[in-house]
Amino acid sequence: MSRSEAVTRILFEAFPAAEVRLFYVLGFAACAAFAYGVYVQVRKYRRGAPAALAGGMWPRLGWMIARVLDHRTVERRDPAAGGAHRLIFYGFTLLFIGTATITLQYDILEPLFGVRFWYGRFYLVFSLVLDLAGVALIAGLLYMMVRRGWLKPPKLDYARPDRSPGDPDFDRPQYRREDWAFLWLLLIIGATGYVLEAARLVWLQGRADVWDTRWWSPVGALLAAALRGVGLGPAGGGALRHGLWWFHGLIALGFIALIPYTKVKHVFTAMGSLMVRDPLAAQRLARIPESQAAPGVAAITDFTWKQLLNLDACTRCGRCHEACPARAVGAPLSPRDVILSLREFAHATLESGTLPAAAELNVHGKSPGQVAQETLWSCRTCMACVEICPVAVEHVPIIVQLRRKLVEDGAMDPLLAKTLATIHKTGNSFGESRRRRGAWTKALPFPVKDARREPVDVLWFVGDYASFDPRNQKVTQTFAALLAEAGVDFGILYDGESNAGNDVRRVGEEGLYEVLADANVAALGSATFNRVVTTDPHSYNTIRNEYPDFGGRYPIEHYTTLLERLFAAGRLKVTQPLRYRVTFHDPCHLGRFNQGYEAPRQLLALLGCELVEMGRCRSNSFCCGAGGGRIWIPDPAGGEKPAQNRIKEAAAIPGLQVYAVSCPKDLTMFEDALKTTGNEGKFVVREIIELVREALPLAAPAGAHA
Amino acid sequence: MKILVAVKQVAALEEDFEFRADGRDVDGDFLVMDLNEWDDYSLEEAVKIKEACGGAVEIVAVSVGPPTVDEALRKCLAKGADRAVRIWDEAMRGSDSIAVARILAAAARAEAPDLLFAGVQSSDQAVAATGIATAGFLGWPHAAVVSQFTYTPGAATAVLRRELEGGLLHELEIRTPAVLTIQLGINTPRYASLRSIKQAAAKPIELRTLADLSLNAAEAGSSARVRRMYVPDKGRAELIEGSAAEQAKRLAAIIRESTGAA
Repeated sequence: MSRSEAVTRILFEAFPAAEVRLFYVLGFAACAAFAYGVYVQVRKYRRGAPAALAGGMWPRLGWMIARVLDHRTVERRDPAAGGAHRLIFYGFTLLFIGTATITLQYDILEPLFGVRFWYGRFYLVFSLVLDLAGVALIAGLLYMMVRRGWLKPPKLDYARPDRSPGDPDFDRPQYRREDWAFLWLLLIIGATGYVLEAARLVWLQGRADVWDTRWWSPVGALLAAALRGVGLGPAGGGALRHGLWWFHGLIALGFIALIPYTKVKHVFTAMGSLMVRDPLAAQRLARIPESQAAPGVAAITDFTWKQLLNLDACTRCGRCHEACPARAVGAPLSPRDVILSLREFAHATLESGTLPAAAELNVHGKSPGQVAQETLWSCRTCMACVEICPVAVEHVPIIVQLRRKLVEDGAMDPLLAKTLATIHKTGNSFGESRRRRGAWTKALPFPVKDARREPVDVLWFVGDYASFDPRNQKVTQTFAALLAEAGVDFGILYDGESNAGNDVRRVGEEGLYEVLADANVAALGSATFNRVVTTDPHSYNTIRNEYPDFGGRYPIEHYTTLLERLFAAGRLKVTQPLRYRVTFHDPCHLGRFNQGYEAPRQLLALLGCELVEMGRCRSNSFCCGAGGGRIWIPDPAGGEKPAQNRIKEAAAIPGLQVYAVSCPKDLTMFEDALKTTGNEGKFVVREIIELVREALPLAAPAGAHA
Repeated sequence: MKILVAVKQVAALEEDFEFRADGRDVDGDFLVMDLNEWDDYSLEEAVKIKEACGGAVEIVAVSVGPPTVDEALRKCLAKGADRAVRIWDEAMRGSDSIAVARILAAAARAEAPDLLFAGVQSSDQAVAATGIATAGFLGWPHAAVVSQFTYTPGAATAVLRRELEGGLLHELEIRTPAVLTIQLGINTPRYASLRSIKQAAAKPIELRTLADLSLNAAEAGSSARVRRMYVPDKGRAELIEGSAAEQAKRLAAIIRESTGAA
């Protein structure tokens, strides 16, 4: 044996054959326990409904691997935890690969093919890398312990807003125990690994191949020096090594066996969940298949396998809990707890050999694991949870599927039921006559084309609030005037337009959504136009992302990008810069849903405004509370409303003059919240359209343009 | 056990409307048709009885009207009616409450229900006679403006409360078969999802003619007819402000104006 081949990892040296055999038996037992656990989990997912995945397998795999490696989703809005997780992930992964490589040579390549590579320089470099990986692992674990034990971020508090103290599943102490057990287990595996290495060095200090290369394992070498310092000799080192070897080996095998049964499984389920991620999960909800007898989800088995996998991917990191506007104002909803409840439910019902009776699979209700109506109706479908989830859990489609069942049963607020019936009857949520949809045009000094009668360049889909709400009608008229002044050839559908259905769909009334989408696609089909514009982000989202499933594909934009282009082309010019100190509220359906972050900001800059961002802006924008049909459901009296919470955030900006919005519902919600929070008179709420008008005072008398 | 629920498709006015050329009704283009609000409650009351006893109850929605009424009947099917019956003959066009009651009574004899529910009134005509007149033609016990109802299928009597003026309630026991007119608020009508309405579209609506009910055209027709429908001239009100002298001056001007002495 050459000198370099002697430099290798000491494995079973000095072990009696019986102990080696015992170790292999235990190793296979751990693998068997792991395999059985995986089988039970896969069987659970297969008990779900089929799921259609968009996009190809390879791009999804590539995207998943990239996210796992770059940890981008893990460090968002919590860089410290993300960094610590990165240390743990890379440390653990390298150590795992290292151990796997040993097995590869020792148990496979060498006995079968006589191939050896685990020696010499390769071994030494690897030894150094693994030693550093261990440092990373332990450093990451220690930070996580400090975080859980001392920093205690509120998002890690498992107390539930949808349960009361005293309920059996109120704050789930078993979760805390599991979190700590996981951290301690990994820490002990890592720490004993080092002590084991040091003991081995002390034991074999007489062997030059071992002792002379010890600094390739710097932590082990340092510890060895310390052990020698306290008087440990080769014989003591040997005994310590033997004992620790078994201790380290047994907990490592135990860890492997426990993976599918504990939160450790997230290492696989999170990867799976990332891989099946739907980038339009909240923007484009699924249709109800023709073959499905009852709409929505009643039983846990009505969820798709992908959704069941989503449930298992959750790591309880609490980012959705933190981001949820309903939770922030004390509503009985935390997206985290919806997911965890359903996961507990799936665990209790779908992991046994035989499926329980159908009655025991109902996920609606107030028992542990079930989701209450009040919880589901608290959701604004604002997508904050989906957007921030590091492991691609898609809460919104899950909640809407549950709501579809509630709608079918009529289990909803009577006012909401009334509004839905009104929309069915009149095509709008205001209960106004269809023919009054275009009535706002009568106040204009020029006619607005009926796009069904003559071709137009730009078809303006106006939407309910912009058409019927008196305050928003003023904005609508102003926008029409701006378009006319810029010489845009535009028209509207008049009574051919119906409520776009975005919020009806998110309420869970899919049948009504189908009626509305079909009606609008037919109306749009009867018109000749080049592109669609709307001032309403809700209409924008559903027409852009959901109408294609109903045969309607149109180039559509929000008014902010159209105005920006008109300014860039010189068709609109700022004649009176505003110099206001403004803040901007990103509408959920424009920002998070469709990444329309820049155009509104650029418009505000063009107008000469000084933009001061709120802490929660862009992708972290805080919902006004109107989404998901909540605008039709009265908020409980007394409590804070999301819009009030938001206005208070804006009010903290020194010298704020204007709270700028770009969504009709935002205008309604925030003007109301401005009054109810007592901030009236301190600053004003304005549509960007109104600010544009202010910066471009009418030069010519009304009606003078073409 | 069978419950017959008499329903009506009512018309709601749009904000701007025009009268028909003959001046006897609003032009149909300006009307939005829907199930009468009271009927929503009476149907719900029937469905609740059915649900409470586990289903051995047949609910039949019945309406008198042209084919457009099918939409209202489908809504009833969507909300839980087992069958829907529409009775129509051109002779019934424009019939008043009493004629409709005579037709409904004939239908009730054919169906032989244990209970007949009707709304207290219809929101468009507001005669509030159809239900009780039907009881009259049938010679059945009846109660109007029922705000609470308790009945176990198969029982010979039912207990109910009805609203009286001045906040008083009447509690009575009534023999079945009986006719009840149901008041708003007796329950919370369920929402009929669009999906259930679409599914109801596949269910048949049974059509009955005069002959089916052994009625003649005279019995089905109205004994009263609408001569005209119109918007009355609006009165005027004005708050006169200012000093006593100014008020007197304005008052004098108004008097001169209204007597044509200006």
